[in-house]
Amino acid sequence: MMPGKLAKTAGFLIYAAILLILVPRLIDSYERWDLYYTLTSVALLSIASAGVWLTFFIGRINIGQAAYALIGGYVSAVMVVDHGISFWWTLPAAGLFCAVVSVFVGLPILRLRGVYFAMVTLVFTEVAKMVALALPITHGASGIVNIPLPGALEIFGFTLIPDFNTLDNSRRGFYFLSVVLMLICFLGMYRLVHSRMGRLCFSLQQNEELASSIGVNISYLRIVAYAISSFLGGIGGAIFAAISQSVYPSSFAVADSINFMLNCFLGGLGYVFGPMLGTFVLYFGWDWLFQTGKYQLLIFSSILIALMLVLPNGLLSIRLPGWKKNG
Amino acid sequence: MADVLTIDKLTRRFGGLYAVNNVSFNVAENEILSVIGPNGAGKSTLFKLIASFLRPTSGEVCFKGERISGLAPHIVARKGVVRTFQETTIFRNMSVRENVIIAHHLQSRATLFGYFMGSRNARQDEQSFGESADDILQLLNLDHVANELASNLPHGNLRALGIAIGLATNATVLLLDEPFAGMNHEETMRTVQMVQGVRDRGVTVLLVEHDMAAVMKISDRIVVLNFGEKIAEGTAAEIQHDERVIEAYLGIEDESIGL
Amino acid sequence: MEQAIVNGLYLGSQYALIALGLTLIFALMNVLNFAHGQLYVLGGFITYVVYGQLGLPFVLALVATAVTLALVGAAIEKFLFRPVIRRSVREESTMLLAAAIAFFLDAVILLLFGEKQRGVPKIMDGLLNWDFRIVMPYDRILIGVLSIFIIVGFILYMQYSKPGRAMRALAQDRVAAQLMGVRVDRYSMIGFALGAMLAGVVGGLLVTITGVNSGIGGPISIKAFMMVMIGGAGVISGAIAGGFILGMMESVGLFYLSSYGDITYLIIFASLMVFLAIRPQGLMGKPWG
Repeated sequence: MMPGKLAKTAGFLIYAAILLILVPRLIDSYERWDLYYTLTSVALLSIASAGVWLTFFIGRINIGQAAYALIGGYVSAVMVVDHGISFWWTLPAAGLFCAVVSVFVGLPILRLRGVYFAMVTLVFTEVAKMVALALPITHGASGIVNIPLPGALEIFGFTLIPDFNTLDNSRRGFYFLSVVLMLICFLGMYRLVHSRMGRLCFSLQQNEELASSIGVNISYLRIVAYAISSFLGGIGGAIFAAISQSVYPSSFAVADSINFMLNCFLGGLGYVFGPMLGTFVLYFGWDWLFQTGKYQLLIFSSILIALMLVLPNGLLSIRLPGWKKNG
Repeated sequence: MADVLTIDKLTRRFGGLYAVNNVSFNVAENEILSVIGPNGAGKSTLFKLIASFLRPTSGEVCFKGERISGLAPHIVARKGVVRTFQETTIFRNMSVRENVIIAHHLQSRATLFGYFMGSRNARQDEQSFGESADDILQLLNLDHVANELASNLPHGNLRALGIAIGLATNATVLLLDEPFAGMNHEETMRTVQMVQGVRDRGVTVLLVEHDMAAVMKISDRIVVLNFGEKIAEGTAAEIQHDERVIEAYLGIEDESIGL
Repeated sequence: MEQAIVNGLYLGSQYALIALGLTLIFALMNVLNFAHGQLYVLGGFITYVVYGQLGLPFVLALVATAVTLALVGAAIEKFLFRPVIRRSVREESTMLLAAAIAFFLDAVILLLFGEKQRGVPKIMDGLLNWDFRIVMPYDRILIGVLSIFIIVGFILYMQYSKPGRAMRALAQDRVAAQLMGVRVDRYSMIGFALGAMLAGVVGGLLVTITGVNSGIGGPISIKAFMMVMIGGAGVISGAIAGGFILGMMESVGLFYLSSYGDITYLIIFASLMVFLAIRPQGLMGKPWG
């Protein structure tokens, strides 16, 4: 056991070092600043996708994550712009707000399964957009713009994170923020999935009836998993709003919900780090195809279809078919 | 012996049809009681009602004097009444040992967050569940397949795994749904021993079964249902000579009752 | 109010047709066809080209649309869904394939027909005016009546034709139907073709009224999902009911609440979620789970 654990820890540290030291160095020396933005996006989207993955893990197809990303974005934006609260406080607030909303949404709809749950969550994505259009606090279709960059985070006079306005490259700041959060998020997910709670979630995925007959409170567990998922969606959305310094009702739409799901799937549903890989491949693939101009979507979707035909069980299914192997 | 389960005038209607009609009987502590009856007699519905997977139309089920009908299934399980399933229902994509470990859920002392953080309770739970699981696997002769994926098990072992899961919940009353279905004689006899082993651990066993030979051999008492109604109750000897029972089975499976 | 009801019936007949195709595909293959709206758009554009640009008769355009969409549907089933369904371990994969196909069709439609809103000449002039209580252009009436004819035709086909009966058997119990000798592959393909055809025909009908543009595929799919959920997934009567209910809600809602902007849809969406919480299987669906 111990050597395996050690190897995993080492692997994780190396991975973190690559992301936090090597990648920024390379970007800086080649002056490819645009890559900061791309990688930041990947990190944030994979946080939201990790949430979707968790709902997959309890056996629910979640096409509603864009709704929580949108809610998270708005919560943070409204707090920062209209109430002048520091971004660093709005970030957890956005996540928690989403988690609370998800409890109320989840109570009725988590009873649904299969495509039924999928369809309702898809509709929920539309609902979120329409609420954003209708409510006065979200400023309707014009959205919230000119969101100031995050200020400094100080605790007892000690500056933990500098004011993003003072950074010579705020993109770099967002990159570090997002990557660190992504690493924390996936570390947490890994821990969760490999703890007893993960096994309980897995038991739900396989057989809810049996799970409840051995005494598992399935509705509670479903809500907890869904709330965590929505929390992650809210966090991702909030940072996105901060980076783009704006949020509109269409910032996160149905297509995003579907993409989150695609990310998970592409990476492989049986593997915790699947969403990270899936997001990376999908986002970079999409970005890279930009040079094909108007054929971008055509080629992209053709590749997706081809991938489904060749690997109907996801990218990582080549070497990680089941749950057991990632233990 | 005290009664652990009291089934009182239990009735369940589906549309105009009475699947279970005014059924009453008691289950005494640590006995093996079988519910038999021809196909469609309402046995499975009765089980679902007892484990509270269905709500009764009228009547009630009491566990140690406390009404359990209408509670959520996991609450009923928490109180000590656990149902295993007619189909070989298990967690297919977990190993056999994992199946049994997870079934210890009710004994866990740590919270979900505790498990996440790896608290002391959580670590102790993990260890004691593991030990208990190994114990149970040994009792049911599953120790040699402990690390197999459950979906790869042969039929007979699956049934044993189902019983192991039930046992792991540390239930007071275990409801076994057709534990001998689809087994040959030898397998049946082995499973009969298993069920007796379960009872010897202090568990009260309530089972629904078709296999008359096994039922006659294993049961302390038998309840006979026909068209949703209880037509007889008694020891194996009494049941075998009950006219209404013979009538109910005549022409359906008269040889299988072993007359 | 009369006006709102008539509008609702007209809208509902279109919606019911869209929902019928979607529910048919779902019932036969347990596939949630994300690309349904795109098939609708494709149908609209084909009618636009044949009728609007080539100037051929509308009926011919409609037939061309139906045939093309049936072929496209059959091809999608045979070459894409069938192999994936056979090899995937989770039902989600068909959903992702459907999403990818939706993207693909979006791209193809955009490349072929551009992003402009396209319209065609009216198929009929004049309007019915009943005392200004009901005002309805004749072409809308014609299209509404046509759709109702198609719905009736579809029901009769499912009820009495041999393929129709086979498909119903398949929808009810795949395994049993297979044992009874129903050729599952063949009828899945026919079903998919039929579903795609229905979506395309509605697109062709509606292009004469509202025109068509490449961006509406997604929203149409979402509406179709809603109708199917209202009525109960996989149930023909449910799809028709769902279509008419949604059409009616939209039209009545827009009639009374138009001054509040998009609030109608918000109310519809929200009430759908509440409804499903109470009755997950929809109006006419079978309980499941």
